[in-house]
Amino acid sequence: MFKTDTDLMQNTVTVTLDGKSVSLPSGLSVAAALFGIGETISRISTTSRKPCSPHCLMGVCFECLMEIDGVQRQACLTEVRDGMVINRYLNGNKGEVE
Amino acid sequence: MSHHDVIVIGAGPAGLSASACLAEMGLNVLTLDEQTRIGGQIYRHMEAASQDRRNLLGDDYTDGLQLADRFRKSGATYKSGATVWQAEPNGTLCFSHQGQSEQVKANYVIAATGAMERPVPIPGWTLPGVMGAGAANNLFKEAGLNPSGKIVLAGSGPLLLLEASLLIKKGTNIAAILETTPLIPPGPAIPRAPKALMRADFLWKGVSMLREIKKASIPHYKGATQLRAIGENRVEAVGAMHANKKLHIEADLLLTHFGVIPNTHIFRQIGCKMVWKADQRYWHPLCDEWGHTNCERIFAAGDGAKVSGALAAQYKGELAALEVAHCLGIIPQYERDALAEPIQKNLKHDHWPRPFVDAIYAPNPKDMSFDDDTVVCRCENVTVRDLRKLVQEGVRELNEVKVVSRSGMGPCQGRMCGPALAEVIAAELNITPDQTGRLNIRPPLKPVPLKEIGEMSLHMEPTEGKNWLLDKKSAGKKGA
Repeated sequence: MFKTDTDLMQNTVTVTLDGKSVSLPSGLSVAAALFGIGETISRISTTSRKPCSPHCLMGVCFECLMEIDGVQRQACLTEVRDGMVINRYLNGNKGEVE
Repeated sequence: MSHHDVIVIGAGPAGLSASACLAEMGLNVLTLDEQTRIGGQIYRHMEAASQDRRNLLGDDYTDGLQLADRFRKSGATYKSGATVWQAEPNGTLCFSHQGQSEQVKANYVIAATGAMERPVPIPGWTLPGVMGAGAANNLFKEAGLNPSGKIVLAGSGPLLLLEASLLIKKGTNIAAILETTPLIPPGPAIPRAPKALMRADFLWKGVSMLREIKKASIPHYKGATQLRAIGENRVEAVGAMHANKKLHIEADLLLTHFGVIPNTHIFRQIGCKMVWKADQRYWHPLCDEWGHTNCERIFAAGDGAKVSGALAAQYKGELAALEVAHCLGIIPQYERDALAEPIQKNLKHDHWPRPFVDAIYAPNPKDMSFDDDTVVCRCENVTVRDLRKLVQEGVRELNEVKVVSRSGMGPCQGRMCGPALAEVIAAELNITPDQTGRLNIRPPLKPVPLKEIGEMSLHMEPTEGKNWLLDKKSAGKKGA
């Protein structure tokens, strides 16, 4: 869905994404960094049970809500950090916001 | 609880200029911004952006660097990633920052919360691969990411065409542009044209933008209706009606845009008086030319007060700052007026073409003929059909709609569905959207972990005469 001309992976951090160790470009929001490595699905909607992708990238739509270090956070407003643990629960039912 | 002369919420053009202006006068200014970098949306990541990116985005982007520099040197205390989740008319705020919440107070608060893309639900807009044109723009500014594959742009407004011309400049292939803007400019645009002509520079920009799009020979459909995103688990195609013909365009990415509206949750939570702007179909806080809202300590500046663009936002931020300085007794009225005069002149000059552009791209309720299956509330998965049923059952007001349907109760708290809810209900009842009321906005403005609230140290206002038990206790202590 997105590609980059610049060398996005020049500076990276290592995070745990859905249980796997992954390199993400540093200096970006989690949402932008995930787009950068081709990860476009942010979560499974808790109401429609369908996959979502970030819609506004500015903190309004909450479609990029994901579990970051144990708390449901807006990925577009959270900067990636080394050692971050990100869970999207793309296969399971966890991640309820209620 | 820390106390500040002024707290500025937001670090876009309005927030940066307001903060810098006040801090330069030696005032204690705290600038809270929920984004990770200064610049708001228009100047997003300007300080970190590569030269290539700056060149592509042009002056409209790099103009922000001067403002950034001024802000950095001004001495304002800046907190990034700071989300205000409660604001009171007395100037007390609660905000979350790096996993901790804090209560702060200021004599004056300038809320410069900016604008957001108007969310207009179309069938399939919840599919992955459908996003705001502004969102794609943000990804480029922030990360240098370019849309790839088959890209369709759809909707209305100058920013849609601006995004198209930016994509062309970058050599991105666009499969089609579907404009819902009518072919013939709407009536109100014509009397507003002469004033716009006084800003030839501005109009020239628009004309050359349209020429670039034409030169790129991209299929450009004007007056398209019935937009829809088609796909199973992601967008695969875009459908529309054009000149009585059905369009079906394959797509990997659909970028939609329907103009911008003020981001007003904070004003509504505080209890500021709101005004309905009928031609642009949005709510904005009532404020005077200095940004005074009806709450003495609360000011509104920038696009959050009324959408008028980045430069105007910067001027409005500065004007609000001058009035706040005057209210604090730092500068006398004649000085405020002298300092404000050139800014007011600039603001006026900047405003000339706006009524014309606004009239051309005015939102048309006919574009919003929602399908029964269209999801209006993305968070709670509430459809147009659900809402129509409620109206048939006698529901008339938005807060009733919210209570019964849960639309507006999800994590986004009505930011994405609020305007459309009003449109759907109003269309059903044959009234205007403002007559359906406004969703009540309550703290927390953004979801915040209870743990954070629990760990906060709270300062309570003195309770003289209000709490019989506590007052009696403290009176007894004094006597002892």
